[in-house]
Amino acid sequence: METLLNPSKTPNLFIPKTHLFKLSFLHSNFNPQPHSSFNRRPLSITITCKVKTSQGRKNDGKNISKKIVLTDSAPELSNEEIKAKPKGGGKAWGVIKKFPKRVLAILSNLPLAIGEMFTVAGLMALGTAIDQGESPEYYFLKYPEENPIFGFFTWRWVLTLGFDHMFSSPVFLGTLILLGTSLMACTYTTQIPLVKVARRWSFLQSADSIRKQEFSDTLPQASVSDLGVILMGAGYEVFLKGPSLYAFKGLAGRFAPIGVHLAMLLIMAGGTLSATGSFRGSVTVPQGLNFVMGDVLGPTGFLSTPTEAFNTEVHVNKFYMDYYDSGEVSQFHTDLSLFDMNGKEVMRKTLSVNDPLRYGGITIYQTDWSFSALQILKDGEGPFNLAMAPLTINGDKKLFGTFLPVGDTDSSNVKGISMLARDLQSIVLYDKQGKFAGVRRPNSKLPIEIDGTKIVIVDAIGSSGLDLKTDPGVPAVYAGFGALMLTTCISYLSHAQIWALQDGTTVIVGGKTNRAKAEFPDEMNRLLDQVPEIVESSISKKPDNIGG
Amino acid sequence: MIFSTLEHILTHISFSVVSIVITIHFLTLFLLVDEVVGLYDSSEKGMIVTFFCITGLLVTRWIYSGHFPLSDLYESLIFLSWGFSLIHMVSYLKFKKHKNNLSAITAPSAIFTQGFATSGLLTKMHQSAILAPALQSQWLMMHVSMMVLGYAALLCGSLLSVALLVITIRKAIKIIGENNNFAFSFGKIQYMNERSNVLLNTYFLSSKNYYRYQLTQQLDRWSYRIISLGFIFLTIGILSGAVWANEAWGSYWNWDPKETWAFITWTIFAIYFHTRTNTNLEGVNSALVVSMGFLIIWICYFGVNLLGIGLHSYGSFTLN
Repeated sequence: METLLNPSKTPNLFIPKTHLFKLSFLHSNFNPQPHSSFNRRPLSITITCKVKTSQGRKNDGKNISKKIVLTDSAPELSNEEIKAKPKGGGKAWGVIKKFPKRVLAILSNLPLAIGEMFTVAGLMALGTAIDQGESPEYYFLKYPEENPIFGFFTWRWVLTLGFDHMFSSPVFLGTLILLGTSLMACTYTTQIPLVKVARRWSFLQSADSIRKQEFSDTLPQASVSDLGVILMGAGYEVFLKGPSLYAFKGLAGRFAPIGVHLAMLLIMAGGTLSATGSFRGSVTVPQGLNFVMGDVLGPTGFLSTPTEAFNTEVHVNKFYMDYYDSGEVSQFHTDLSLFDMNGKEVMRKTLSVNDPLRYGGITIYQTDWSFSALQILKDGEGPFNLAMAPLTINGDKKLFGTFLPVGDTDSSNVKGISMLARDLQSIVLYDKQGKFAGVRRPNSKLPIEIDGTKIVIVDAIGSSGLDLKTDPGVPAVYAGFGALMLTTCISYLSHAQIWALQDGTTVIVGGKTNRAKAEFPDEMNRLLDQVPEIVESSISKKPDNIGG
Repeated sequence: MIFSTLEHILTHISFSVVSIVITIHFLTLFLLVDEVVGLYDSSEKGMIVTFFCITGLLVTRWIYSGHFPLSDLYESLIFLSWGFSLIHMVSYLKFKKHKNNLSAITAPSAIFTQGFATSGLLTKMHQSAILAPALQSQWLMMHVSMMVLGYAALLCGSLLSVALLVITIRKAIKIIGENNNFAFSFGKIQYMNERSNVLLNTYFLSSKNYYRYQLTQQLDRWSYRIISLGFIFLTIGILSGAVWANEAWGSYWNWDPKETWAFITWTIFAIYFHTRTNTNLEGVNSALVVSMGFLIIWICYFGVNLLGIGLHSYGSFTLN
């Protein structure tokens, strides 16, 4: 500790007094024991420092390296962008010119960004708590004025602020836009200058500054070039100039946060394009029928423009389902043919749930199914198609039913045979009194006799529930996703920097890292243990200039 | 038949081993750690046994049911406890030299999740069920496993930060109590923190203070690293889920409650990272953010499933 304060112990190093002086007062954690050599400068300089330690203060590390660099051309970085613009003529013009800078400075304020993120999170949470997309009467009942939640929250709040459609409401979208602009401002003002700082490799010429790093050690009887070789073996990029050494590893970890922000901006842009420029539609088509894509697709925003592919006609050739042994539905498939305007078949594919059809920018997904009609033979006549209607029961299982009138069809109290089905596999039949009569599968063609009528189930005709979509933003969004995944992984890397100085026969080593602070000392100790000890009394040759 | 008995056996073995490990930990805590190195070693071995048991359990289930064991809540809870034991194994193998405080967090977490999964509340779900059509996809493996691993890592990191908070607040209460000043504000805690840092470098106030400081530093750094890892998993999980949704349902983001809460979790941890960049807010404030994150993860993982609505209804259950 004392060598820090005593300049006479640092030999042979050409350091102007000013730099040394600034050094000692930056690390002002000492009880002021006045050394005579320091009293030549007035103490007004101490006002600029705060009480800081050398641990855990990233900005401090940056400041130290900035001040120590002997190349005089190291300007103040974060203000560079802002102050470098030339002063325009005229005061008003100057004010207008300063305005975007000021806005930029406000937007890239970190607490503001944190506040925006909290707001977004809070609004999203609220959006899940309040039921979305219901009619206004629902909210009148749920949040009545007579009994407000928390004493003030009524349906007025919900409807005026747009909380019933939270995720497309102006409040939410506005906050997202604000967050996006903050992101852009922050990337421009803070992170891009960071690139310049990190890429500039700076040698530390004074042993004191090296000792002040988070991790520092002294190796007696060692040579700095040996250290350089060991570091190169450990994956560092090493630069050696005279007696001093600078090595770093994991520089990508510094740039990756910029990549993260850019990826997020890409995703937001893609999402905006999706929201304003896509087409959506869904249709339930019985087997054997067809539809035209353009009739089904509707635009979602003002940028949506239809393409030539919208004229394609889609024909459902067959719809069928696979079942497990237990009877549950395992998968449903639709065999589709696409025909263009001239009637030529341009595509044929069988869709299933996780396997959509893509044609001309339009994607068709299998999302649902329904029971269209039951084909039966009655007393050998037919086949008759009986339309099946969906019946509502509790739960998400489907149930369909149809009715075959028997006897006098004009009487008001007509009786008949009811047929119910959960899926296309088996049909359950009930007689005129509603009693269970039997189960038949459409493939079996086995007749069943109910109240004197012979019924043969010929076929169960299903209908396919298809969702169609065209989305121009998807490539941008996918690219953003990939970039985000990649850059998030890379930003896990820790940027480690090591400085060393050959001081006679000893080497003074110091280092710091921005992320892996827990493991860094161990890694450094392991590396330093490998540096060979020089047993001879003199180090005669000068270390060569080795580039990493 | 043999598979289900094997499953049973493995479940019971892992559960009992973890309870033994926790008992050992509590004993060593009360008997003042350093003397009982032998017990510590056996507790480490116990965690290794647990890890292999749970792995065996999952593999058995996989073979028996034919699909990756992550289709409902029970299986994802087992996977979560596997995630905890995996984190423990990785940190044990990487840092053999110094004693790891992490096992105090991972072992109880593993046992609680596993205990809940095997408890009577979810007996309906122990049988491996068949997959609905929408779940029959390769994406199931990647999306759900990444999400659950992410939850495991984030929960570990959050618990470490909560521990940090507890230690710091207790110290602050003591100092404030000593100063006879009962105004409790976070600025004060920060000031106390800084003050004790400063004093530390010149003379040690007391060795107890120094060790506490070392402990909080270590907790802080460990928590940061583990949360970074968890954040990466969470990001990959959310994004792969979005791509899967686009392939299956036609749109990559539906503001489904589960998706929204996963995004809220992601946002909170992004806030955590940003508070750490500014050194004024480091330390206690970031730990507070992380504690919020802990609650939010549980809401996201469990609370949404209790509602049982939305596209993610596979994970739902009813408490009976």
